Amino acid sequence: MRLQPRPASLYAPSVPTLDLPAASEKSVTDRDFLRSAFQSMLLARILENKLSSLYKAGKIVGGVYLGRGQESVSAALGTALIRGTDVFSPLIRDQAGRTAFGESLLDCTRTYLGSVLGPMRGRDGNVHRGRPLEGVPAMISHLGAQIALVAGMLFAKRLKGQLQGVVGATCVGDGATSTGAFHEALNLIGVEKLPLVIVVANNQFAYSTPNNRQFACGDLIERARGYGLGGWSVDGTDLFACASVMREAVRRAREGGGPQMVVAHLLRLVGHGEHDDAFYVPDACRNDHYGRDCIDVAIPQLVANGHVTTDEIHAWQHQFAADVQRAVAQAQQEATPDPYREDWTAISTRFPISQ
Amino acid sequence: MSVTYIDAILAAQEKLLREDDRVFLYGQDIGVFGGAFKATKGLAAAFPNRVFDSPISEDAMIGLAVGAAIEGLRPIVEMQFADFSSIAFNQIVNQAATHYYRTGVPIPITVRMPSGGTPGSGPFHSQNMEGIYAQYPGLIVLTPATVADAFHMLIDGVALDDPVIYCEHKFLYRWLKAKSINNDHLPIGQARIARPGKHATVVAYSAMVHEAVRAADRLQPDGWEIEVVDLRSVKPLDLDTILASVARTGRLLAVGESFPWGGVTAEVISLVSEHGFHLLDAPPQRLNSRDTPIPYHPKLWASHRPTPESICDALRHLLRF
Amino acid sequence: MPTVPIFMPQLGESIAEATIVRLQVAVGDTVRADQDIIEVETNKAIMSVTTLCNGTVAEIRAKEGVSYSVGSLLGLLDVSAEEIARTGVESLESLEAKRSAAKPASTAPNTRSNETNIHFSLDDDGYEEAPAVVPSVKGLPVPIGVMGAHYISPRMRARMDDLGLREADISAVVGTGAGGRVTVEDLEGFLDYLEAWPSSHASSMRLAVADAMRRSWTRPLATVGLPLLLDRAISHRGAQSPTPGLTLYILRAFALALSEHPATAGYLIGEKIVHPRSFDIGVAVQVKDGVVVPVVRKADKKPLAELIAEYDDLVARARERRLTEDDCKGGIATVTNFGTFGLCLGTPIPLPNETLILGLGAGVKKPVWSEQVGAFLPATEAALVLTFDHRVVDGGGAGVLLNRVAALMQRPEAL
Repeated sequence: MRLQPRPASLYAPSVPTLDLPAASEKSVTDRDFLRSAFQSMLLARILENKLSSLYKAGKIVGGVYLGRGQESVSAALGTALIRGTDVFSPLIRDQAGRTAFGESLLDCTRTYLGSVLGPMRGRDGNVHRGRPLEGVPAMISHLGAQIALVAGMLFAKRLKGQLQGVVGATCVGDGATSTGAFHEALNLIGVEKLPLVIVVANNQFAYSTPNNRQFACGDLIERARGYGLGGWSVDGTDLFACASVMREAVRRAREGGGPQMVVAHLLRLVGHGEHDDAFYVPDACRNDHYGRDCIDVAIPQLVANGHVTTDEIHAWQHQFAADVQRAVAQAQQEATPDPYREDWTAISTRFPISQ
Repeated sequence: MSVTYIDAILAAQEKLLREDDRVFLYGQDIGVFGGAFKATKGLAAAFPNRVFDSPISEDAMIGLAVGAAIEGLRPIVEMQFADFSSIAFNQIVNQAATHYYRTGVPIPITVRMPSGGTPGSGPFHSQNMEGIYAQYPGLIVLTPATVADAFHMLIDGVALDDPVIYCEHKFLYRWLKAKSINNDHLPIGQARIARPGKHATVVAYSAMVHEAVRAADRLQPDGWEIEVVDLRSVKPLDLDTILASVARTGRLLAVGESFPWGGVTAEVISLVSEHGFHLLDAPPQRLNSRDTPIPYHPKLWASHRPTPESICDALRHLLRF
Repeated sequence: MPTVPIFMPQLGESIAEATIVRLQVAVGDTVRADQDIIEVETNKAIMSVTTLCNGTVAEIRAKEGVSYSVGSLLGLLDVSAEEIARTGVESLESLEAKRSAAKPASTAPNTRSNETNIHFSLDDDGYEEAPAVVPSVKGLPVPIGVMGAHYISPRMRARMDDLGLREADISAVVGTGAGGRVTVEDLEGFLDYLEAWPSSHASSMRLAVADAMRRSWTRPLATVGLPLLLDRAISHRGAQSPTPGLTLYILRAFALALSEHPATAGYLIGEKIVHPRSFDIGVAVQVKDGVVVPVVRKADKKPLAELIAEYDDLVARARERRLTEDDCKGGIATVTNFGTFGLCLGTPIPLPNETLILGLGAGVKKPVWSEQVGAFLPATEAALVLTFDHRVVDGGGAGVLLNRVAALMQRPEAL
């Protein structure tokens, strides 16, 4: 099973063909977008490398799940969304998107390290974090479940008359496209015509299961047509392509074009979690076009186009490493939950209710 | 003029839609059609853009409701049959039920579950799911047995900030009638003495309250005075009222229409044995449906669930001890 | 020809099953009424299953060495219709007819062709795997009456605990509950009734005795006795200075007898018998509103003369209520001389931690036949009684012990 390189292209007969901006086309907005997205990619990579080493040092209870190789897709989506307006429900490999959408480093390090001051207070860990009231739902492990939830947030905004100009987005992997929840929700967002962008990062392996044991259609983007969604296919290793497609898909959704589905082709460059060495990924996949590291692809493109200088990149690297170190140090020094002081109640209602 | 149990559910939803603009209804065939049982009859016309027909996607329906609840709305989702909530099980127990504990943001959704058997409904249109949902932390599970409770508990349930599983019994829909909807009602979490007595306590809920009262009436001529406790909500469970009743009678029978393994009746027995062992004159008994899928044929169905006859038998056994 | 079933009989009220020891008949044998045909063993005894009528053995289902529950079908007899009419025995056919009338065939749990009920089917090889008859006590050796008057429910127990009552306290309450059980309502009614009676608080001495007696009474106690001639002891006693009490003679004789038969003083706990470490014998002393039992140490090792001072001191201090706790500890048996109250006969109760109590009644002048003289002679006779925990000692052991004490009492100079 090999994926053929596929240019950023549209696959959605129900949606008019787009004139995609060429990668070389420059504008101030493009420059800001690409610089911002790249910064998120870089920060996410540095943060995740640190998480990996903390895991290997035994500092993290539970697993560590990294998004290495998926930063371009995730960051492009997060950068295209507007914090405070939009809803973004990230999944397991969306550190770059979280960062781009404005998640603080401390939310990440506190959750991984179990600080009681983090958003999950030790009650949930690692990637299951969020701030639902700020438009970032906290994912559950059951794949495909977040799509309907984001749909509900958008549905409510519509009922409240607050949907104008709002987009919801969520990410899944190729594995989630096999779940009933995915199909129910895709159908539902099509029926309800919600401004929801669903990004499928087809990283070729769901845990260890390759695409040919996961689905039988030629390209997952075919599923968009079946549910009446706009469909986009993109080379997930190419930041410029990702930026163009994400911005366009998000713009379409925001401007009333209905739900959009983006399928990004790439390769997961790590194991499912840090416990997994991904021995099952054949070298052919690693050496394939999609086996490229998106950061390695982005840097020469950005430099060649004059968006970023190598000096800037070095400066950011230093700064981000210091920021990450600080966030880790702070979270490590903070209190962990105390079972004796934990409020062991699962509901907010306090019974008995007096008459 | 009388009000049925389903009239009360319809009236409660009408009142909720009228008085609380956070409320909307989402479910299969609940719009123009008015719902499979007509529990939303006329509401789509009366409240445009507040009552929605959903695709047949129970998982996505609950997912949507959870998202809307995060946004501050109070969705009421109608499962066409409680049986089909198995498709939504993941969103209910993993998304809705865990949300408050994980994130601190409560999820005020109400899932209406037409529950329980009616003759001829068969294995997939007769189930009682309250025991399963009560097992999960983070859910409130209501089982109204009266017309007034059907009305008030739906209104009170929607007012709660937590996910509510509202189990409405299909057998009671049109069978149970009241002159009017009584305004006096107990708060959620408090059980009710449906029938006072002194020789034994029957703890029941939903339709089984009526079967228990009929059984108690049959034992009356023999001099037995049976107390019937209507749990009203199975979670939270009002242990105080149960224990107070057992303290009066010394004998306990828990009756439920659900399958016999585990569940609400087992929980009642377990809690009373743990907290009220010294109140007991006899080993506590429980009576549930048979341990098979719910049969289609009315003759089999009638013998599958507890009946006044089988409740009488269980009570006689309990009283003989 | 009709067939008559042979069932495992109920061989005792708490017996649920019995094991086949020996089959005494074979198929084809002619048997007469009341003949022993199968020897079975319960956990209490070996017994025989008998026939109810004359007939021929048609089938034996029971196997030697296998246990069957009460009511199990063990075999079948061919019996003539005349014999059935004569004895009134119920035939298998008649039983089956009754069962199928009582239960429509469609509701039988396991129906087969030509069978209305698998339990009595003649060609059913799987009989043992599918037990035939529900045992009369549901397969468990449940004592009859567990649900009756002796049963105290958790609720009743809790109320009794509230009021500080024991089972003995409610013995006067007439139960109106299931099987004559005393209910909380019965108890409350009885307490209300008692309100009208004068009452006072029991002293702590009284309560201590009550508690000890209640605990002791939980055991199966039995009393045996014999007439004891006291003349020799009385005359020996008159010649001593200081004068030993008659009780001390008995105590010393008891200690010697026990040292020869130490097993009789054993104390049963669970599956273990605890043996005496030393023959320390208590003596019951009546005091105001109760009884105390100081202990005379190593009474088997010291001659009577040496025991007098120790004994007198203990009794004196007992009457003054000045005994220490140690004075009353460690006894293995007790003697009580209820004869001092003019009583001829008694059945004393041992202390709860002892198996034996030896009692002496009042001496009475009686004519006693003398083989030597060939005439009735006047003698002083008293009842010597021994109460024992029947779990530990039997009548025979008690008799040996009692006779030995009586014999020792006839040679007071050796005490």
